Amino acid sequence: MTNRSVDLIGADDAQASSAPAVEFREITKHFGAVTACEEVNMTLWRGQIHGVLGENGAGKSTLMKILIGLVMPDRGKILVHGEEQQISDPLDAAALGIGMVHQHFSLIDALTVWENVTLGDSGSLNPEAIRNRIGDIGDQYGLVIDPYALVGELTAGLRQRVEIIKCLRRDPQILIFDEPTAVLTPEESEQLFNSLRNVVTSERRAVALVSHKLDEMLSAADEISIMRQGRIVDHCLASETDAPTLARGIVGREVLLRSEQAALGVARTEQRSLGRDDRRSASALTETSVLRIERAVVRSPDGFRLLDELDLEVKPGEIVGVAGVEGNGQRPLGDLLSSLLALESGRVEVDGKTISSGRPGAMAVAGVGVIPEDRHDSGVVLDMTVAENLILTNPDRFAKRSVIDLKMVGAFAQQMIEEFDIQCDGPFAPMWSLSGGNQQRVVLARELAQKPKVLVAAQPTRGLDVAAIEYMSSRLRLAAEENVAILLISSELEEILDLSDRIVVLQKGQVAGEIARGEADLEHLGLLLGGSAL
Amino acid sequence: MTGDNTAVLGIEDPPVVTIRTRGRIRSSEWFALYTVSIAGALFLAGLLVEATGGEWRPVLWAMLDGSVRRPGRWGETLGTAGPVLLVALGAVVSGKAGLVNIGQEGQLLFGAAVATYFGFLIGGPGPLNVFLILVFGALGGAAWAGIAAGLRYWRGVPEVLSTLLLATVSSQVVAYGMRWEWLLLAPQSSRGNRNQVSSQLAKNNRLPRPEIFGNEFPITVHLSILLAIALAFVLGRTVWGLRLCTLGNNQRVAKRSGVSEKTYGAGALMISGAFAGLAGGAMFAGGGFSFGNYQFMTGFSDNIGWTGLLVALVARERALLAIPVALVFASLRTGSSFVGSTGVEGRITDVIQGLLVLALLIPPAVMYLRDLRRARAAATARV
Repeated sequence: MTNRSVDLIGADDAQASSAPAVEFREITKHFGAVTACEEVNMTLWRGQIHGVLGENGAGKSTLMKILIGLVMPDRGKILVHGEEQQISDPLDAAALGIGMVHQHFSLIDALTVWENVTLGDSGSLNPEAIRNRIGDIGDQYGLVIDPYALVGELTAGLRQRVEIIKCLRRDPQILIFDEPTAVLTPEESEQLFNSLRNVVTSERRAVALVSHKLDEMLSAADEISIMRQGRIVDHCLASETDAPTLARGIVGREVLLRSEQAALGVARTEQRSLGRDDRRSASALTETSVLRIERAVVRSPDGFRLLDELDLEVKPGEIVGVAGVEGNGQRPLGDLLSSLLALESGRVEVDGKTISSGRPGAMAVAGVGVIPEDRHDSGVVLDMTVAENLILTNPDRFAKRSVIDLKMVGAFAQQMIEEFDIQCDGPFAPMWSLSGGNQQRVVLARELAQKPKVLVAAQPTRGLDVAAIEYMSSRLRLAAEENVAILLISSELEEILDLSDRIVVLQKGQVAGEIARGEADLEHLGLLLGGSAL
Repeated sequence: MTGDNTAVLGIEDPPVVTIRTRGRIRSSEWFALYTVSIAGALFLAGLLVEATGGEWRPVLWAMLDGSVRRPGRWGETLGTAGPVLLVALGAVVSGKAGLVNIGQEGQLLFGAAVATYFGFLIGGPGPLNVFLILVFGALGGAAWAGIAAGLRYWRGVPEVLSTLLLATVSSQVVAYGMRWEWLLLAPQSSRGNRNQVSSQLAKNNRLPRPEIFGNEFPITVHLSILLAIALAFVLGRTVWGLRLCTLGNNQRVAKRSGVSEKTYGAGALMISGAFAGLAGGAMFAGGGFSFGNYQFMTGFSDNIGWTGLLVALVARERALLAIPVALVFASLRTGSSFVGSTGVEGRITDVIQGLLVLALLIPPAVMYLRDLRRARAAATARV
């Protein structure tokens, strides 16, 4: 859409009194052959929240980075408060009153809230003044926080509050929020948007809200721009649109699959088809659990109980979703089932046999496949080839007298590359040359090729785009149909609702509640996540 | 590393940018970079020689004389390259496992001491005795590295520190052994007025030194080349090698796929020490004027351990590449002994050696930094 149509919207009553805070004029940015932004025109109005919606790679973050001075545009102009500005680094942006709350927190756990807020300041330090300022901001926007609290002990929601205070302290007139709700519970998200609304209406600041979730866009934003492949493909008022329209705009076609809808946050529980589930829940009843975790206790090196008497069972063919706010034991649970952590007490049984926890490779040998939360951390070796990564967990299968048969490995890798549609320069391409989604496919291929009895999928679709999410979800379903017991650990509620037969909620290393599939809905789950009793 | 970088930035699924596509123009870039940086190092070395009152031409000639041209000298160079290569191979093994063993000098010295002790203690017919000396050398080196391994895996002491400090301890322990005739010291009758030497190895208990075109060197040179080839195969083509490299690259992936950090890590450190100790045994049984002439003494290791470590560093943990690099460094060493005749301090070759190491490490560093920069640029592109 062009400036003219934005101006038309600007003529709307609500906007009549507001002035443009930022105007992007034909911003174009190429990275080599890749178009990140193509002739983007967009206006951020004072006193309004402008939603920027799009898939991963649509260009929304690049646009925001241009505004904050992290990326220089190839062509185009930026007008701030009506004057053309050259923003060549974040300092320029700060001088113009532009602040950004990043997707990933840049806080230091070992420091207190006020220490974190003051980080990056120069000159002499006045702790009292800073703490007072934190108090003022808290009162003003409903962002109350204890300035003496250690950041490491805060929940994700409070940590984000610290980030926002860091940003607001400099009194920016233009605020950018990049995927702010990625790690928040539904309640925390709502609180965030309430305080955001405060900032906007009472002080007439301009806010750009970047997200790929439709629901929050619809509820939080005043107007919405949809980006696809670097272009603004649609522009509308939040009050005049609905989720399906937005979803079509993002993907560029009708959104059909439930997993796609889940990815975009438009899924509704009642839309779920029930035929397959009935069949599966019937079969699950008759079989005994293949994975059984009993009273598992895992302690961190500093004595903190990461898992606290956790009980969990998964039956063959069943998908059990593990929901919960991050940091409540999801990662230790995944690590335990990857042989990376040892139990202090309790036990893990696979197929009726107790598995020695923490012994290298024991879980893998017992038939537990893992798609780890962070593939670079415990999924792949970037400096090895694709083929080597595919045989890592079981190299003996491809060796005669412990000498690896390269032909066999090459053939196997080729087969996996074709079967899982891995985009790479052949079996012996280095792993680091693959994109994130394709690295994830390598992990998936390797784990499924082992014919696991149990598959642990930890945040399997994090950071993937819609097509990749769709693929991952269908693969998980397929595995469940082949009677693999699947433990789906995810912070995306929609993903869990979409795939799981049964949902458990983790809190402080324990199972805080369990919901059968039929009873589950977002509100119910959200309450559980927020710590409410069942 | 580039992948890590994109991970840090939280960027996934780049559209088309790959670092790989630039691979084709690379070999010429590599060549140019190496040429420039080596030329730079040699130029600086020349300047240095001139600055200290010498002339670069006679110094260069002396070095060539000492390492290759004079009769018998290239044999001497090869004989030096043998143990240097062995040490380097050991450093390759520990490096692949992600461990930094920098105590080869001590492991070599201790290995040689153990080889000397048992060599004289057991005696026996010639070939068997030579074989035992080599075996005990390797065992001694492995044991010395084993201390560092134990500290690392039971007490959490970083092996970088322990291996280095143990090198100092090693020379003290050996000096102690040199004080007693029942340990290493030769009986009064055979050492004359000299202190701190062991007995000389009997003629039939020495490694064969075949003579080729007036040059002779011990057959450990052949052995070390065979071992380099074998090691390249083991690391590249066996399950053990794959698992060792997995451990070196990503400990968590390794643990998940059944590689025990203790077993593989401690094993790699001890194998690394064994190579250094083997080099020590080979130096003792292989003789050569610069290696004590079949006698063990304090300071026997004579910097071969450090040189071997540098070779592995420059060869960037590639066993086969270590062969030519070991030759270059051995030439510098043998060449340096002739530099003194030009009136220039012979130790200037140590400086030259340092400059060369830097020169050989600069191109990988440059390429790495460039990759990193490009990856960053690409990463910011990937929204």
